[in-house]
Amino acid sequence: MSPLNFITRTAPTGPVLEIAGDLDYAHAPQLHAQLPGLDLRPGQRLVIDLAGMEFCDSTGITALLAARNHAHAARADIALAAVPAHTLRVLRVVGLDQVFAIHPDSGAATRP
Amino acid sequence: MCRTGHRPDPHEPERGDTSDTAFAALLEDSAEELYESAPCGYLSTLMDGTVAKVNTTLLNWLGLERTAVVGRKRFTDLLTVGGRLYHETHLSPLLRMHGEINGIALEIRRPGGGRMPVLVSGAVKYGSTGEPLLTRLTVFDARERRAYEEELLRSRKAAEESARQARADRARLQDALAVLQQSLLPATLPPVPGVDTAAHYHTASPDRLGGDFYDVFPLDGTRFAFFLGDVCGKGPQAAALTSLTRYTLRAAALHDPDPVSALSTLNTVLHERYTGGDPRYCTAIFGVLDPDPVTGRVAVRLASGGHPPALVVRADGQADFLATPGGLLVGVLPDPHFTAAATTLGPGDNLLLYTDGLTEARTGEDRTALYGDQALRDFCAHRAGEPAPALVLALTGLLDELGEGLDDDTALLAFGVPTRPAPGPATKNPS
Amino acid sequence: MDIRRRNNVTVTGNPQGRAVVLAHGFGCDQNMWRLTVPALAEDHRVVLFDYVGSGASDLSAFREDRYASLEGYARDVVEVCEALDLRDAVFVGHSVSAMVGVLAAAAAPERIGALVMVAPSPRYIDDEDYRGGFSAEDIDELLDSLESNYLGWSAAMAPMIMGNPERPELGDELTRSFCATDPDMARVFARTTFLSDSRDDLRTVAVPTLVLECAQDLIAPREVGAFVHRAIPGSELVTLDATGHCPQLSAPEATNAAITGFLAGSR
Repeated sequence: MSPLNFITRTAPTGPVLEIAGDLDYAHAPQLHAQLPGLDLRPGQRLVIDLAGMEFCDSTGITALLAARNHAHAARADIALAAVPAHTLRVLRVVGLDQVFAIHPDSGAATRP
Repeated sequence: MCRTGHRPDPHEPERGDTSDTAFAALLEDSAEELYESAPCGYLSTLMDGTVAKVNTTLLNWLGLERTAVVGRKRFTDLLTVGGRLYHETHLSPLLRMHGEINGIALEIRRPGGGRMPVLVSGAVKYGSTGEPLLTRLTVFDARERRAYEEELLRSRKAAEESARQARADRARLQDALAVLQQSLLPATLPPVPGVDTAAHYHTASPDRLGGDFYDVFPLDGTRFAFFLGDVCGKGPQAAALTSLTRYTLRAAALHDPDPVSALSTLNTVLHERYTGGDPRYCTAIFGVLDPDPVTGRVAVRLASGGHPPALVVRADGQADFLATPGGLLVGVLPDPHFTAAATTLGPGDNLLLYTDGLTEARTGEDRTALYGDQALRDFCAHRAGEPAPALVLALTGLLDELGEGLDDDTALLAFGVPTRPAPGPATKNPS
Repeated sequence: MDIRRRNNVTVTGNPQGRAVVLAHGFGCDQNMWRLTVPALAEDHRVVLFDYVGSGASDLSAFREDRYASLEGYARDVVEVCEALDLRDAVFVGHSVSAMVGVLAAAAAPERIGALVMVAPSPRYIDDEDYRGGFSAEDIDELLDSLESNYLGWSAAMAPMIMGNPERPELGDELTRSFCATDPDMARVFARTTFLSDSRDDLRTVAVPTLVLECAQDLIAPREVGAFVHRAIPGSELVTLDATGHCPQLSAPEATNAAITGFLAGSR
């Protein structure tokens, strides 16, 4: 089990949250805890970069949905970048590929 | 200073210069004085235990005159009865075997019936031919130490009691969780005329409530509704969500058994109930079985909300997923899309619903590969034509084999049409 | 189950000789007999063992309900005899083991053909006209003594217990575990020993029996020795000029002479 680490940076489109490690039952609450601290303004896009994510279970997906709710509450948008293949497959099974904008990498996701 | 078997000799040359010697002499005017007034008891006994020599310190502790002790009493006479028994069964044989004992806890009797905890060390003095001559014993005041040890023992007992209590609490909690878990699942499946049904629930962790669920129930005289799903997360919140989901689907189905309608109703309830920072959702397949009493075939209509597709295993060995692409998780969006599908089961055909605990089980040496859809399809295709309970039994064995790779709860629900419909109620209850 | 390992059975002496089983009492283990073995080894097959819960026995085999009665210890004896297929053996029991031998001889008469009871007592607590030497409160005190020695005692014994268990040649293996027992198991043995009442069992003894008592024994006073002698028809009583409860250690020559004399006569 890997710990979960976050790096937040700012792109022209808004905040980019890089997630590294396991987004699972034990660690997903840490993502919830990150959300209120994000500087997210109306019209911006919150990009969650999953390039470093090693594992994601249903609680991890819940946390991503919470991020989506958070962004929408701030009248902002949300996009996922560099979703690992396995997680992408799960997102398709549960239909969330229609809910999240999904980009191959954070470069593509932060293009205005 | 009070070492057993060593009597300070006043004539022994002292280390150091003469001023040190003078200083020592000033402090300890004689070895005899040191022996008599040492801060510990001294005692020498013959090999039968008779006291041959005793110092004043010990006599004072005992409250006895020297003449009443020397040559008249044995060492055991100075002890409490429990101490005597202990002396005879442990200490005495040990002295005989090893020639010495060290730090044995005993109690000496004091005047007026009192007792004083002591620590006894001893060594046997041997003659030139190796025969034991006498035993020298030192007796230390252990009153404070014993009080401390008793405190330790009390703490140890309290800790043991707490541990026992914690084990009992844990067992009770597990019992309660097991009961609650069962309330989330039907105790038995109702008999469905002309259909074999079977179900299995695998709990990954006995002390954490799982979030998988299933149910089968009659809609009217002929049709039956079924559902199987997986709520996000585990634990009490997941259990509460499971409960809400189960009863919502049951009520919705009675109102409108159309699969997409039932899931839509559930979606409305979940979405309304859980929005904001703590989204709660589930994946589910909801369906209706409509057996044709004339042909024996069973029409199945179902819809999926974000759930892995059901598997149809035909009697001839063909196995295919009943695709429900694009169906969204239930409870996420206010107005989601759910995908419907239909099939008809003939004699020997099975329909299998499962949760992703099975297909996401980690396999391989390093547990990095996933069991996967393809393996599940092949596994079931090999068991084509078997009754639904046999298929579920085989899958249960598979779950056991996956062992620790199976780290999530897994629910299985299968329906099959018997090859030769037996007369009367042909349905079997699930295992 | 491997009884030899469970009870740490040692067989020594003359393989052709009559078997003599030496059984330790409460408190220590088979090393109690180390001054006795040489006197018997030439003419006898000498069998030593530790009761489960004592010495180097397999402590994992300890069951409190079994060893809460002397019958449980007697089963150990019978099982050891069966494991070695002993017949007509002489059972030498020290202290409480003397009474265990009485029970074992009744349970397996073909295995045990003679008894030597060293410092026996069928009941330690006074009872009406019977003088055992102790009151029930005294026994509670002993249990307290065991408890209070748990801390200091185990520390004192640790070097002996821990000393090179895998390479006994480096340590004095004979005495390594002497007298060191698990405190909870010792408690059970103490209770079973000192709360037992085997007076009626003495009348069942049907084999030649030697009762060895010490002139000065706090635990088994002379009137108890006399009681045992009277209760066992045809038994022989020898009073050793010894002090204490362990004549095989404090007066080994006299003890050995009494035992070998009895063995020669009971053939």
